[in-house]
Amino acid sequence: MCLSELQENQKGLIRKINGDSRFISRVVSMGLPPSSPFLVLQNDGRSPVLVYSHDTMIAINRKECMQIDVEMA
Amino acid sequence: MRTIALLGQPNSGKSTLFNALTGSHQHVGNWPGKTVERAEGFFTQGEELYRVVDLPGSYGLTANSAEEVVTRTYIEHGYADIVCIIVDASQLERSLYMLAEFAGVKSPVMLVLNMMDVAEQKGKKIDVQKIEKLLNIPVLGFTAANLDGYPKFFETLSRAIEKKAKISSDKIRDIVEREGEKSRVENLKKLEDLIAALKFDNREKFWVASKLLENDTLVRSEVETAVTPEHWKRIKEILDAEGSDGGLLTGEAKYRFVSEVLREASSGEEKSMKLSRFDKIATHRIWGKIVAFFILVLTLAVSMTIAVPIIAGCFGLQHVAEPLVVQMCEKFGWWPSVASFVNSVIIGGLSVTVAMMGFVFAILVTFGLMEDTGYLARSSYVFDSWLSRLGLHGKAFMPLFSGLACTGGAVCGTRVLDTRGQRLFAMVLLWSIPCGSKVAVVLFLASVFFGSAAPLFGVIYVAMIFASFWLSSKLFGNKLMPVNERVGMIMELPPYHKPHWKILFKTVIRNVWSVFKKAIAVIWFVSLLFWIISYSKDGNVEHSILYTIGNAIEPFTQIFGMRWQLFISYIGGIFSKEASLGVMSVVFSSTSDAFSLISRNEAGANLGEMMRAVVTIPEALAFIFASMFNIPCVLAMGTTYRETHSLKWMLAIAGYYFAISLGLAFVVYHIALWVL
Repeated sequence: MCLSELQENQKGLIRKINGDSRFISRVVSMGLPPSSPFLVLQNDGRSPVLVYSHDTMIAINRKECMQIDVEMA
Repeated sequence: MRTIALLGQPNSGKSTLFNALTGSHQHVGNWPGKTVERAEGFFTQGEELYRVVDLPGSYGLTANSAEEVVTRTYIEHGYADIVCIIVDASQLERSLYMLAEFAGVKSPVMLVLNMMDVAEQKGKKIDVQKIEKLLNIPVLGFTAANLDGYPKFFETLSRAIEKKAKISSDKIRDIVEREGEKSRVENLKKLEDLIAALKFDNREKFWVASKLLENDTLVRSEVETAVTPEHWKRIKEILDAEGSDGGLLTGEAKYRFVSEVLREASSGEEKSMKLSRFDKIATHRIWGKIVAFFILVLTLAVSMTIAVPIIAGCFGLQHVAEPLVVQMCEKFGWWPSVASFVNSVIIGGLSVTVAMMGFVFAILVTFGLMEDTGYLARSSYVFDSWLSRLGLHGKAFMPLFSGLACTGGAVCGTRVLDTRGQRLFAMVLLWSIPCGSKVAVVLFLASVFFGSAAPLFGVIYVAMIFASFWLSSKLFGNKLMPVNERVGMIMELPPYHKPHWKILFKTVIRNVWSVFKKAIAVIWFVSLLFWIISYSKDGNVEHSILYTIGNAIEPFTQIFGMRWQLFISYIGGIFSKEASLGVMSVVFSSTSDAFSLISRNEAGANLGEMMRAVVTIPEALAFIFASMFNIPCVLAMGTTYRETHSLKWMLAIAGYYFAISLGLAFVVYHIALWVL
């Protein structure tokens, strides 16, 4: 499943990041490399999704969320 | 002299450290040949002079954007004597990633754990000495915004200089070998063998190989030119097989390295994280925007409260000073032109500049405060969807909105944007956003000629502004913000911090002073130019150079629907919007006021009648539309010059609006002639 399919307050694990090297390197350096656990802080179905991982709150556009495969943890 | 390079992720407090270290001994310019801002400063400690280079912030060392290329190049070539890596102690795990990225570069390094106070509040216990032992480099835990901690900083710095400790990538490489997928580790080893004969200079082989795997453009082209085509073919085969996520092998190992260090050196239970009540509102799709608007309106109100008394005071003093100058000149028997020069150029220019600094001050303080507390990121989050259509980051909303108060001040506010391309583009847009005075002038003209239909012009004006946004994004967007450098919104919302008033005010005052210096230079220069072309001995406009020129080119300006009086008023509008009304008053009426392009004569009560008697409706339309997109004012030119560090860019933006406003006048005039 992709990142935006998780609901608020659900925990997940990053499985795979799809996209070009630039996108992958950006996601990794922001603190979301594969196998990181994270928590969905906000997902209202329209705004960018807010997740919390590695002590950091990160906002990710819904389009970019589609490129991030996750599993529920 | 020793050079210290500051390296850190955005929001790590790098600029706070830079400002605290260098104070007013700063120089901000551009990196040679790059559209990236270069900030460096100096300080002395003991006998030694230090140069501090504030490298553009980035989350890692992969060269993806112009800013990152600058940072990367500086680091990998080892231009600095000491690299000072600064990380946010309250988010150690993520921010130490920068250190892991750096590992393998053979420059002496020190590590600064900033915001220890916030980390403590979050219940984190960090054993700084343990980290120092594990990494074997000098490490300091402190709070950059607290000036008491700096003796310890200098002590750590001198240890770093003495020790020249470096950080190797061996541990990361071990993790890769231990835990990486076998086939990928094999590929990495093959890559290392293939490049083994190259010169690595200031970098370890593993570092170069891992950047290759990340498809880093700089390393790729460096290796491609250095090896034989045969070699490159084999390297490329491996890279193609690894695909776009080849960098994950080392990326994951870097995080593992960080968490292994922290497992031993940091503790503190992870509190269950929830959005704070304020954040729930601040990031809400609708409420978040309302909160942001409320804060902005408050900002504008505060700016006005600060600016209006200063403006009133300046013009008050000007009124007192002017007669004195005239008297003095009469007393000494100097030509009246001396008095006119001193009054309108020297005193007038000074008074306009000082007056507008109130806006610059207020905007810089409120934006600094928003950035300091972490609120700015929330407002960017809610507005990102609007601005991303133009290619801009959500952060641009705040400076653009404050353009309604003062274009020149808002231009300084674009500093909150991260890349220079974004800043330049925001400035281009800002010039089309009318400040209060411009709105007043446009609506005044509209009501003079069209009476109750004037509000319609407001609606058209708003539509035109959005149209100009579109045009600007077509013309400048791709050049300033290359599409392939936009990554969509993946942004960090930093934790809330208490504002650090002392450093904030010090920084703002220093900035206002340097804006003032640049602005006054531009304003005096333009005032002088305008004074010369509008000077006439007897104050009669027909005896000025401008009249001669205006008359001579009237056949040309009439193409745009502007007779000489209108064209002169238009030119006066470049100086300031208020000046354009003053100019009109003089050229359309027979008042005895001396003509000057830069005077702030009141619009005469009967100005409307005078104009209606002379100016035709198509001409009025042309003039109103030209005024909408006229160059905002000389202060906006001054601050744009100062913020772009480039005369070329300032003139380019000015030329662009000159062309747009005249082009619009042309179209409107001819349509009106044809229709009416």
